[in-house]
Amino acid sequence: MSSTLKIVLVGYGPVGARFVEELLPAVRAGAISLTVLAGEDIEAYNRVLVAEYAVGNTDLDAMLVGDRHAAEQAGARVLLGVAATAIDRDTRTVTLSTGEELEYDRLVLATGSRANVPTLEGVERHRRDLSSLEKYAAQLVARDDALPDGITALRDLADAERVLQAVRERRRIIVLGAGVLGLELALAAAHAGAQVCVVHHGPHPMPRNLDRGGGQVLRAALRRTGITVIAHSRAEAVAFRTDDEGRRRFDMLVTADGKQLRGDLLVLSCGVSPRNELATLAGLRTAVGIVVHPSLQSWSDPNVYAIGDCAQVVERTDELVGQRVLPGAPSGLIGPGWRQAAWLAESLAAEATARAASTPAPPVERDSIVMLKAEHIDVVAVGEISADPWDDDALHPKRRVSQWADPEHLRYVKMVTEDGVLTGFVSVGMPRTAAELTLLFERRGELPADRSLLLRFDGPDYDPAADADAFAPATTVCWCNGVTVGRIEESAACGNTTVECVGRDTRAGTGCGGCKGRIAEVLARAAEADGTPSLTP
Amino acid sequence: MSVPSPTHCPYCALQCAMTLTPTVRPDVVDAASDAAPAPVTVAGRDFPTNRGGLCKKGWTSAELLRAPSRLGAPLVRGADGALHETGWDEALDLVAASVRRISAESGADAVGVFGGGGLTNEKAYLLGKFARLAIGTSRIDYNGRYCMSSAAAAGNRAFGVDRGLPFPLEDLDGASTILLLGTNVAETMPPFIGHLAGAQAAGGLIVVDPRRTATARLTEEGRGLHVQPAPGTDLALLLGLIHIVIAERLVDADYVATRTVGFEAVRRSVASWWPERVQSVTGVAALTLRRLARRLAGGGNTYILTGRGVEQHVDGTDTATAAINLALLLGLPGRQGSGYGTLTGQGNGQGGREHGQKCDQLPGYRKIVDPEARAHVARVWGVHPDTIPGPGVPAVELLQSLGRPGGVRALLVHGSNLVVSSPNVAAVREGLAALDLLVVCDFFLSETAALADVVLPITQWAEEEGTMTSLEGRVIRRRRAIAPPAGVRDELWILAELARRLGCVATFDTDPELVFEELRLASEGGIADYSGIDYQLLDSGAPAYWPYPRGSAGTPRLFADRFAHPDGLARLVAVSVREFARPKPGDGEVTLVTGRLLEHYQSGAQTRRVPELLDAQPAAFASMHPATAERLGIADGDPVELTNPRGTVHCVARLSPDIRPDAVFVPFHYGDEQAANLLTSDAVDPISAMPEFKTNVVRITRLVEAGVPA
Repeated sequence: MSSTLKIVLVGYGPVGARFVEELLPAVRAGAISLTVLAGEDIEAYNRVLVAEYAVGNTDLDAMLVGDRHAAEQAGARVLLGVAATAIDRDTRTVTLSTGEELEYDRLVLATGSRANVPTLEGVERHRRDLSSLEKYAAQLVARDDALPDGITALRDLADAERVLQAVRERRRIIVLGAGVLGLELALAAAHAGAQVCVVHHGPHPMPRNLDRGGGQVLRAALRRTGITVIAHSRAEAVAFRTDDEGRRRFDMLVTADGKQLRGDLLVLSCGVSPRNELATLAGLRTAVGIVVHPSLQSWSDPNVYAIGDCAQVVERTDELVGQRVLPGAPSGLIGPGWRQAAWLAESLAAEATARAASTPAPPVERDSIVMLKAEHIDVVAVGEISADPWDDDALHPKRRVSQWADPEHLRYVKMVTEDGVLTGFVSVGMPRTAAELTLLFERRGELPADRSLLLRFDGPDYDPAADADAFAPATTVCWCNGVTVGRIEESAACGNTTVECVGRDTRAGTGCGGCKGRIAEVLARAAEADGTPSLTP
Repeated sequence: MSVPSPTHCPYCALQCAMTLTPTVRPDVVDAASDAAPAPVTVAGRDFPTNRGGLCKKGWTSAELLRAPSRLGAPLVRGADGALHETGWDEALDLVAASVRRISAESGADAVGVFGGGGLTNEKAYLLGKFARLAIGTSRIDYNGRYCMSSAAAAGNRAFGVDRGLPFPLEDLDGASTILLLGTNVAETMPPFIGHLAGAQAAGGLIVVDPRRTATARLTEEGRGLHVQPAPGTDLALLLGLIHIVIAERLVDADYVATRTVGFEAVRRSVASWWPERVQSVTGVAALTLRRLARRLAGGGNTYILTGRGVEQHVDGTDTATAAINLALLLGLPGRQGSGYGTLTGQGNGQGGREHGQKCDQLPGYRKIVDPEARAHVARVWGVHPDTIPGPGVPAVELLQSLGRPGGVRALLVHGSNLVVSSPNVAAVREGLAALDLLVVCDFFLSETAALADVVLPITQWAEEEGTMTSLEGRVIRRRRAIAPPAGVRDELWILAELARRLGCVATFDTDPELVFEELRLASEGGIADYSGIDYQLLDSGAPAYWPYPRGSAGTPRLFADRFAHPDGLARLVAVSVREFARPKPGDGEVTLVTGRLLEHYQSGAQTRRVPELLDAQPAAFASMHPATAERLGIADGDPVELTNPRGTVHCVARLSPDIRPDAVFVPFHYGDEQAANLLTSDAVDPISAMPEFKTNVVRITRLVEAGVPA
């Protein structure tokens, strides 16, 4: 290879940062020249922890994942606070917010996603279809909609600062939406002392991830933590008031059935949408996200790639090309994004160094596991979990469902298997069981035939040997010398009736000495048994 | 008259103090008698580490001294392919002539030396000198590569020094929290557990192990917590704990600021390991992780100790580093009453890694590539620095070169049973078979000795003088209680005789005390400086912890004021999980964890010859969860076969709810078709060259009867 491969990365969130990190050896070796357009004026941080930050549980320092200095030392150019505003695919150039133009051989889009703003009377939102984008590019590309005072999304650090202030002042916070992010914030904020009300239009929280049983138990658990949960309520409008400083700010949320919910801060947690606008303007195929092959290459341009929250991976077929709606959507989770970043970096590095393509096949994602990150409520769910134990489903003759519900103690587990292999589960209030199920799902492990084995991890005093008799003959008393109850009893029967005598005879208690008390107990029982006629031969 | 000899146990690094009292006149020895009783009685002796206690192995150790199977004369393989007894001169002449010839034909590096962590300091030191001067080879390494190499590499990287426990063991007595990572001390060094009592009483004994071992059981009844991660996920677990410590602001910020460097990089490296993600990788609930991190940071006296369970991995150095990072962030190392340590396994696993058996090392824990170190050692040895060969290759690579073009053609083995303890045993057997010369020094015809061309019978611990360095870095005396049988020799004598036959003019003393005197000089000024220690001091009973420079009083506790890097600061080193570091079990496969049993020591070459120990654990077994067994149609006691592309092991199934359903445990003490290491991979850690012993993937099938598939 005579020249270096010029790669431009748009977006420096956790997925972009991972891509950079994985690419550095090739950058250092001079095979790749890399420019990163970071957008935000800050180093890459872990968005997964934004809710924690928003309630003051962690510091920004602890969230940083990108190492800009390492990247720059390796020879990469990292432009903080600089966004891409246009792509010219014919000349293979990207225009920056600074006016500069950059050439690329390969363009990688890791633009992520932005919080959805629902249709609410009183809140302005912008369409980002092609014609709007063409008309108002400067306002719409790489920019989020400004929200009125007292209303915020929870996506970036600025959002988190707004929430943090409300939490510190122990304000009343209304969370609109009962997805994972909304609930994580609600729980963390309530724990930090804020008054929290969750409003959602489904029948129970996390409707996309939980079945009815899991949802009901979760709702009960939320209420027990002091959070108000208002279900079956579609938000329709917001009303404003003028505060003491003369500023117009959020006052109340009005629902379709007329409920008026007053609060100091409205947090919109209504899902996210990929930031597609740069791709849309450049004429790249988009659906929910930027449409890419499993190799992460755009359907429309082999020199453009997309990874992370903005990428919608679809296998291209003749049939699908003509359709407006395509299957699937970006997962919105970090794990798949990281795997994509690592894989693409490896594949581009191989290309740049003209290495034989030793890269494994592109990552194929199964359903992603959803975990509610909260300290006092444990919810984990994944896969297709709507099936019922009593279903007689001709399409899935090998599907089996096991269920355990204990609403009073806020515990619920459902496990769905196909031919013994876990394909989906819900676990609420059973952290250790959930941890085991998570691992089994990740590894496609087979469940034990006795499913209740998994429930026992969360027993009040889980001990696999609890049913073992502490005085059974085979039970070891002295670990140092491997002496059992039976051996001590035998010794006692031969006249060794003190701990010291038994020690001389069997060496029990002659190691660390920690078992001397137990030896005395065994001897005491043996002495007792001595005087009593035995009922067993 | 019987004079009791105060000495220490022949087995593990705890080196329990014992007294040996001869039962017969020591000068009357009848090695031929089959029914010979043990010639000494064993009694526990009061000492800070074992406090008079011994485990089953120690109590029965004397039975080996006159065991009928003990070798009494050198053996040489004859034209008939069998081993025949011969005289010492004949055997040594043969070895020397062969070494000379091979060295002349293929260069000195065609002759390899393989040492062991059970050799005394004197033997280990002289073996390194013998390899470099008498043979002139760089190809020397030892079985400590399978044992302490990852912890050693991590310790050197972080602290600038590697002493297993940088504090006396007794310090643990005052702990309120002790985190044991991947160590089953209740079986491997039982008297150790007496030192855990304080933490147990405080409810603070935390054991991380995929198995509910005897050690994990010590946490029961409110005495602590057992955390049971999936095999091979230790690094993720530790990164998760560090994440919580940083995120929840539990870091000892003053300590980190004044005593360490590298915090920024570590902080970044763990930002992506939030508890729920760690849960999905390890199977340990986020809630448990949080509780654990808070307990560790909760003040009081806290210790973090690692063992082979977390170190014997292809990322073992990074895993040990993560444990050290955690300890540093909590401000533990060097603080009185707290600390980090690694539990050395083999009897002289500590001293054995300090004085030149390692391929990259010269005595005193000096680097062989350091010109100053070479000059110093060359002065002591009376040679020109250029005559000392450069660095060799680590154990696994050394063994992989056996019989290969440009590789080792002759191998001298001391204190090691390679075809039981090395990874990928089948490949090692092939390598040994391809050698022109294999010489093994042992007491018994071990599995490796049985393959040798020449077997040299040697003295046992009760028959020799010397020093050992225990797991706490304390140098202790091994003392002779009885004379050896007539036909056996001390390895110092063997090395001296071979050196003479090879025409080496350097000094090879045969008196251990003289060898130690030379070791003192050679180690002087090095990291492991023994120059202030002599036999007289040790015989006075004074505790001698290295570094012990001349004129000092030794160093019971390291790091009180500074770490051993030139700037005095500890290094926090960011480490990360390598996604493809190890194969993941596929359909129907489970992860093999190898390990030890109470009754046996290492390759079992000794303990399998003690009737009481063999009766208790006569054969290898595969311990698996009843749920796993049910899925595979296996019942307790069934003969089973474990296979993977490297090999096949036959043993019986033992069902136990104490192991995770995704794992199977097989002890590695047994030979032949029961050798667990037939299944282990010889892929190694890129830094320490430690092989992967804990996460190999296997398939298990039931056999109708031994040898016949179901």
